[in-house]
Amino acid sequence: MPEIRVVDLKKYFGKVKAVDGISFQVKDGEFVALLGPSGCGKTTTLLMLAGIYKPTSGEIWFDDQLMNNVPPRYRGVGMVFQNYALYPHMTVYENIAFPLKAKGMNHDEIDSMVKEITKKLLIDHLLDRKPTQISGGQQQRVALARALVKEPKVLLFDEPLSNLDAKLRMMMRAEIKKLQEDLGITSVYVTHDQAEAMTMASRIAIFNKGKIIQYGTPDEVYNSPNSIFVATFMGNPPMNLIYGMKFKREEGEGVLKLKNISVKLSDYQSKKVEEYGKTENLVLGFRPEDVSITKKEEGNGIWGEVYVLEPLGRDLIVNVKIEGVENLIKVFSDPTKEIREGDRIFLRLKPEALHVFDGETEVTIF
Amino acid sequence: MKLSFYQRNADRIRIFFFILVMFIITLPIILGYLWLVLRSFSVDMNGFVPTELTLKNWRFLWTSMKGYPNIWRTTMNTAFVALMVMAIEALLTSMGGYALSRYDFPGRSNLMKFILVLHAFPSVSLMVALYYVLKYLHLLDNLWGIILLKASLEIPWGTWVMKGFYDGIPWEMEWAGLVDGYTRLQVWRKIILPLVKPGIAVTAVFAFLSGWSEFIFINTFIFSQEFWTLSKYVKATIGDFRFADYGLLAAVGLFYAIPTIVLFFLVSKYMIKLTIGGVKG
Repeated sequence: MPEIRVVDLKKYFGKVKAVDGISFQVKDGEFVALLGPSGCGKTTTLLMLAGIYKPTSGEIWFDDQLMNNVPPRYRGVGMVFQNYALYPHMTVYENIAFPLKAKGMNHDEIDSMVKEITKKLLIDHLLDRKPTQISGGQQQRVALARALVKEPKVLLFDEPLSNLDAKLRMMMRAEIKKLQEDLGITSVYVTHDQAEAMTMASRIAIFNKGKIIQYGTPDEVYNSPNSIFVATFMGNPPMNLIYGMKFKREEGEGVLKLKNISVKLSDYQSKKVEEYGKTENLVLGFRPEDVSITKKEEGNGIWGEVYVLEPLGRDLIVNVKIEGVENLIKVFSDPTKEIREGDRIFLRLKPEALHVFDGETEVTIF
Repeated sequence: MKLSFYQRNADRIRIFFFILVMFIITLPIILGYLWLVLRSFSVDMNGFVPTELTLKNWRFLWTSMKGYPNIWRTTMNTAFVALMVMAIEALLTSMGGYALSRYDFPGRSNLMKFILVLHAFPSVSLMVALYYVLKYLHLLDNLWGIILLKASLEIPWGTWVMKGFYDGIPWEMEWAGLVDGYTRLQVWRKIILPLVKPGIAVTAVFAFLSGWSEFIFINTFIFSQEFWTLSKYVKATIGDFRFADYGLLAAVGLFYAIPTIVLFFLVSKYMIKLTIGGVKG
């Protein structure tokens, strides 16, 4: 299986810069997710890997072979599309056999390969049906079978699960991951769902406006986001942010202040801010799970008022209104805890889980 | 609960009036066809009442008539023109429509506007110029001349229709074919073309009908009786140098219309698709 190397890749559609100079590598057998909001260039990147779009500039390498001018049929890629793109005038069998026929294989070989893959994906009872006669989940499996049957060296997924209902999506998520691990095919997976990227990929490239903002393991992008964009894109609910904070030294200790709010920073964190050299317009960030709710002031934190509760069964999301902060702060809590709307509560912050960003450039300070 | 007669039957009464209005509007056409059918089987007519039934008006089918070419020969000519126009148009529009739908080439949008203008252009005004063109090409008094003229005048509209059908096919379908190991041409032939079959059917039927009903070019550019088509035959029954034979006119006219009616019933289901999903720019 090849290693994919993308170097300073660009794709312009007229004046629109769909992909604007990205570089990344996918290791042999690795599963990488391209994650970002719609229109960020992730699908365009995938289509360039498949050979459907030609790059405006930059290079795409599969191992030591430059692929820029190689048409899709010689790239050895399998692809699963969001709308599955099954051929409606062919049966399931014919759909799956279609890529094998292109290779000029004989009838018996094709037959045994189609039977094998459909058995593996549990669709061997549907072979005579037309795509319109099977369910969405089954169509998804057929699309997967069609991509896998030709034993591709690279697998490309374009939001393959977004047309499925939530329950099926969770199921297929695990199944595709397992399948990829078993087959060890180098895979690139485009999605706008951060949970999909987190759960399936070994590394995630987070896209915005045609550029890669951060490329790292799920742990890295979740716990050490390099910008506000990444911090708020990962996690559900996303990281809480408090804008417009000022940094001060009070009796030697570093503090972030906004009106009545005052959050202490550790020595290390304070030094980081000072090294960065900016004391105004800072953004404090903390994840909903890095907060504990208490009734009286304990340690480092912020006072607020419970605005509304969102029970999730296992968890409880507490929406908190803080004086002087426009947006609501979301906090995970234990559902057994007695919290009512209107209660005044203290949000105790985990000191090591704080993030501070530059409010102008939106980059991470720590 | 007490409901009036109207309230109890509101839906039915509405539908009854609807049908009644439609019936009145279409009555002239229905009467026209009715007259045509009755006249073709009668010696003379007293308004809408045949005076005496006869098959004599249909004699052109089994006897050769003085001053007219053989009817079967003429029918074959008509079918030949119609089928050839259909074949040429189906072939060229299915390719042209694909190009207009899928390729972004310089001048594409201007070309599409131009096509619409072309379709609205009255072909009668081209007559003199076309005469010289056909003469130069030695295609005067030749059915191929008519076929090429007719096809080229129909192709712009057909291309437009086909473009609409191609537009309805998602790009992903084509991309999947490319990734599956085929060339663009193979993808077009194996995946895309089967999916626009309804479009091809509609375009082909319209092409056939336009070839079948062609009169002006035949009347102008065909001189020999052996190349007549049915429209010219019908025209001849009204006659320049003979008394109009209304019985014969009715019978020939009806004979001429039969394939059109049959074809309509065969493809009406595709025709409906044309307005729903076909032509959407």
